[in-house]
Amino acid sequence: MATSELPVDADSLRSEVRDKYRDVALEPGAEHHFHTGRFLARHLGYPAAWVDDVPEPVVESFAGVGDPFAMRRLEPGERIVDVGSGAGFDSFCAAWQVGDDGHVVGVDMTPEMLDKARRNAALVGADNVEFREGFAEQLPVADGWADVVISNGVINLCPDKHAAFTEIRRVLRPGGVLQFADIANGTPVPPGALREIDLWTG
Amino acid sequence: MLEEVGFVDVSYGNRIDTFAGAPGEEKARAYDVHGYTFMARKPD
Repeated sequence: MATSELPVDADSLRSEVRDKYRDVALEPGAEHHFHTGRFLARHLGYPAAWVDDVPEPVVESFAGVGDPFAMRRLEPGERIVDVGSGAGFDSFCAAWQVGDDGHVVGVDMTPEMLDKARRNAALVGADNVEFREGFAEQLPVADGWADVVISNGVINLCPDKHAAFTEIRRVLRPGGVLQFADIANGTPVPPGALREIDLWTG
Repeated sequence: MLEEVGFVDVSYGNRIDTFAGAPGEEKARAYDVHGYTFMARKPD
């Protein structure tokens, strides 16, 4: 789908999404249309070892929709890109799996999430994780750098999913793996509703 | 779409009732929205 054929204005959607996730970063305990935090991580089936003992700031803004590691655990030494890394919970789960010989790059477009993720990295002493500002459709990562790309509840918020997947393919090495969680609808959304930005963001 | 952009070995995992009990549950139920896990590989 070309950008000109998107059902919503891409800049408007990004602005709405950025506003929504700024709120999740700054007020994780407020009512959102989705679950957040430690409760959500447990609800989605994350291992207790990753969830129970992490400091609250590391997990409180988690807003994923599934466990991107459920179908495949990461290998020590792998290089990971986390698309839409938020406050970093999945990036830290990745970092614990790949170990000191691996590396994780989290990418997010919301400044408040990036700030929180960097504070969280210091909080848990994660030296093998860094966070960069960027969009899913324009990842600040070199061609073929990643062994694995992960993402959680982010692609559905991208106005141009084809561009996002094409960009993810670019940063993966040949043979590299994309493993992600996202939402999908079983009942078609009417074309008119697709143009309602509120529906995209909740 | 994953195959359109050149991924292979596309698979998906179990359906997850992501919004169960959340404020957005009613809207999610209206469109049968659930979470899923996916995996795909870039060809060698």
